[in-house]
Amino acid sequence: MEYAKKSFIFGCIILFLAVAGAGLLPGQSLEAKVQTRTLKNGMTVLLVERHGAPVFSTIYGFKVGSVDENEGITGTAHLFEHMAFKGTPKIGTSDFEMEKPIMEKVNRIGREWSLELVKGEQADKDKLARLRADLTRLETEQKKYIVKDEIDVIYNNVGGTGLNAGTGTDQTMYIVSLPSNQLERYCLVESERIRNAVLREFYTERSVIQEERKQTTDASPARLLSEMFMGAAFLAHPYKHPVVGWASDINSVTLEEAQAFKSKYYTPNNCVLAIAGDIDPARAWPLIEKYFGDIPRGEDPPVLRTVEPQQLGERRVRFEFDAEPSLMMGYHKPTFPAKEDAAASVLASILTSGRTSRLNKDLVQDRQIAVNVNAAASGGGVRYPNLFTFNASPRFPHTVEEVEKAILDHIEKIKTEPVSERELQKVKNSLEASYIRSMSSNMGLAMMVARYQLLFGDWKLYLKYKDVLAGITAADIMSFAKTYLTAENRTVAFLIKKAKAS
Amino acid sequence: MNGKKIIKGLLLGSFLAALVLTAAAQKHPRELGPAPELNFKLTKPVMFTLSNGIQCFFMEDKELPLISLRGLIKGGSYYEPADKTGLASLVGQVLRTGGTKTRTGDQINEELEFIAASVESFTNNEYLTVSGSSLKKDFAKLIEIYADILLNPEFRQDKLDLAKNQTYEAMRRRWDQPMQVAMLLFNEKMYGADTPFGRRSTPASVKAIGRDDLISFYRAYSAPNNFTLGITGDLSLNEAKAALEKAFRNWAKKKVTFAEVASPVEKADGTIYYAFKETPQGNVFMGHLGIAQKSPDEYKVEVMNDILGGGSFTARLMKELRSNRGLTYGIYGGVYEGTGKHRGVFQIGSQLKAAKFVEAVETIKSLIKDIQTNPVTDEEMTTSRNSLINSFVFRFEQKSQILAQYMSLKMDGYPDNYLETYIDNIRKVTKADIQAAARQYMNPEKMILIVVGNEKLFDKPLSSLGQVATIDIKALQEAEKIQ
Repeated sequence: MEYAKKSFIFGCIILFLAVAGAGLLPGQSLEAKVQTRTLKNGMTVLLVERHGAPVFSTIYGFKVGSVDENEGITGTAHLFEHMAFKGTPKIGTSDFEMEKPIMEKVNRIGREWSLELVKGEQADKDKLARLRADLTRLETEQKKYIVKDEIDVIYNNVGGTGLNAGTGTDQTMYIVSLPSNQLERYCLVESERIRNAVLREFYTERSVIQEERKQTTDASPARLLSEMFMGAAFLAHPYKHPVVGWASDINSVTLEEAQAFKSKYYTPNNCVLAIAGDIDPARAWPLIEKYFGDIPRGEDPPVLRTVEPQQLGERRVRFEFDAEPSLMMGYHKPTFPAKEDAAASVLASILTSGRTSRLNKDLVQDRQIAVNVNAAASGGGVRYPNLFTFNASPRFPHTVEEVEKAILDHIEKIKTEPVSERELQKVKNSLEASYIRSMSSNMGLAMMVARYQLLFGDWKLYLKYKDVLAGITAADIMSFAKTYLTAENRTVAFLIKKAKAS
Repeated sequence: MNGKKIIKGLLLGSFLAALVLTAAAQKHPRELGPAPELNFKLTKPVMFTLSNGIQCFFMEDKELPLISLRGLIKGGSYYEPADKTGLASLVGQVLRTGGTKTRTGDQINEELEFIAASVESFTNNEYLTVSGSSLKKDFAKLIEIYADILLNPEFRQDKLDLAKNQTYEAMRRRWDQPMQVAMLLFNEKMYGADTPFGRRSTPASVKAIGRDDLISFYRAYSAPNNFTLGITGDLSLNEAKAALEKAFRNWAKKKVTFAEVASPVEKADGTIYYAFKETPQGNVFMGHLGIAQKSPDEYKVEVMNDILGGGSFTARLMKELRSNRGLTYGIYGGVYEGTGKHRGVFQIGSQLKAAKFVEAVETIKSLIKDIQTNPVTDEEMTTSRNSLINSFVFRFEQKSQILAQYMSLKMDGYPDNYLETYIDNIRKVTKADIQAAARQYMNPEKMILIVVGNEKLFDKPLSSLGQVATIDIKALQEAEKIQ
């Protein structure tokens, strides 16, 4: 089992697209609970009143993820997210005036050291050792003024739980839940770090992330397969590189690069905050205005220019690893709010949601050639055109080739025979229920409205999209499959068990 | 080159200065006045007993049109025969998938999924859990199928074969992830492969399991008087009572007996078990036996765990190994309770930087020794106590969570006022208590270490930490090959 950890990487975000139930719980009832305001600096804040236990959950995010990085600085969005827990000029230090000059030296030596380090074999070993020793000495000196992990200390003392953050391809999100009498403290701490994060202990944290990459990717068959697959499926678009970053880039990114990246994207006008739970909006709004309202507006974030060129033929990756085999395949497709995206969502559900879905029933339960199979409609991310993907693991002695063939046969069937009305209705029923279930927790609610607001500009699209989904027909699904699920638009990656190690 | 550097440095300097200026207006959180009083009342489920003896817990939740069920039958893997290890787990899977007298498993799948409802079952060491959920409008269908599964399961052969095949594949795949391998080996070495705590299923033990075994295992433990059921959602107490009486009316009481399960015996002797795997980090679990439930020292241990190895960055292991030294992405540990009367484990686990592996393990050991030798600081004591007390309210965030919590406490035999007295009990813990608990319940010299990784990448040989025994993963995999 995986432990909960501060800072995590979002996998592909599976959009929670839902249909409001007729007469059950009309969309208006959620609309009535959500208050939205845009502060004068452009920050959007959503409050969702829900009075159960005296607690609330919070999430705020910036529309920045690994898709906003270019080569050489991959992993910077995620690295900065780690750094956002290191404090501010007020929090995390006993004397910032004394600490600041030491930190400036840390930056300078750290940069020199990093630039030497990237030379690899050509690096001057003596120089490296000298710089590393200088850096260690400075870090020790700075430590005298550091109040360790003070954000954790502040929240722990008042009963905060689940302090964490996550970075994905599209966004970076910060979360914590607190007793309902702690709203002002929350606003103070978070406005401080949005305004003014100080990147102390940078080079130690870079080392933590090197270990994070080894643990979550290099030692993980599933994550490694996904990295190989994405790298092949995207030729030009930055969805191709991993959120955690390439090892070389993690090893060489400097504090200034992280700071520069932050100042481009961590602006209130690129931020959405959502608070759900036992809050009184009449009391909450003045606090929110007071603390977040005067964070200076920033420039609009840069526009991503690179567009993935049309795929001209099938791409295949095959690599060996010390693990049982698995496969991933995918097809380029348009993203939300295109109608094709909705058709893809419904199709993914018909293919692999639940025991009665087509691939689960046929591959896993009846023929038993696989132990799991999953389809997802938004592989890569959702801000830019993405992928319709499949993940599967064969059951011995069956092979990845057999499983691939079985999936392809099902895709061909989708292209030639309309899906049944009952299958469509089942998907709609399940979307209706998951819409209701998504409102059963403060964090679930906050995440849902924050994501839609941040990524698509309006949380109500969550409700409006129901019409699009409800309107998806068998013909739409067939047309989607015929257009996008084609051989020349396909990428396939196989993880093969390594022949006996010597 | 030089000029460029200076400019960059200057830019950064002035940037920091600008930041400090804007920050001047902000306060430190400690300068905030006292927070408003928190209005919190402990909420409890209603308990009632059905005419056939089913103990029920109920909480109304009108917020959303949903209803959920959670039932537990005592009878888990502790009670399966050693040569059929894996039986309880198969019962847990096939109870649901194998259908009932009047419905095949596939029919149940179709009926439930069409209305976006679910019934799922699984077994752990002590209990078979069966949970269910549906929209309010479909509750009649949910409870009908839920009771049908419990009262009339068929354990059909085709679904047993499917579950067995999937189990074989899971066995092949359990060597893929280094931490999962370390966990498997930790349980085996900690408790002994011949105990219900340390053994694991093998192709041979699973092959030996037939449909009759599932039926007789389930028959032995499924009885209304050995079943506890929680129900929560959008219905009244009377509606719940009526629905449950009706659904379970044909389930007759019977005598259920449990074989005595010998408690684990301490075997930890300081041995380091090394299993080679080509992987970039040193993956480790270390520890020895822990405490049993309802230990008189449970609150002392809880605060100690929080300070030593809890989930937060204020915990010493995380602070030192991750935040100060950058040797890992995460490290957690503590002295944990077992189930029933059995002792749990004291355990620390982490994936450590290979090039500093031995140094990291030595650091962990010195942190254990430190908390045994020196009192924790006032600040640690305050933060930890405040954290446990002030976050108590989150145990009451969801109705289903409140229900599950009260059910577990009742079934494990805790006093009825356990939660009411929790905060006071935490408040009573002193620095001396923590030090005493650390001495009593942890012994760094006796810990076994399971190390999965490549010793060639380590800073020093493992033998510098103590006596090393080697485990050959490839041989274990070979021995488990399916015939």
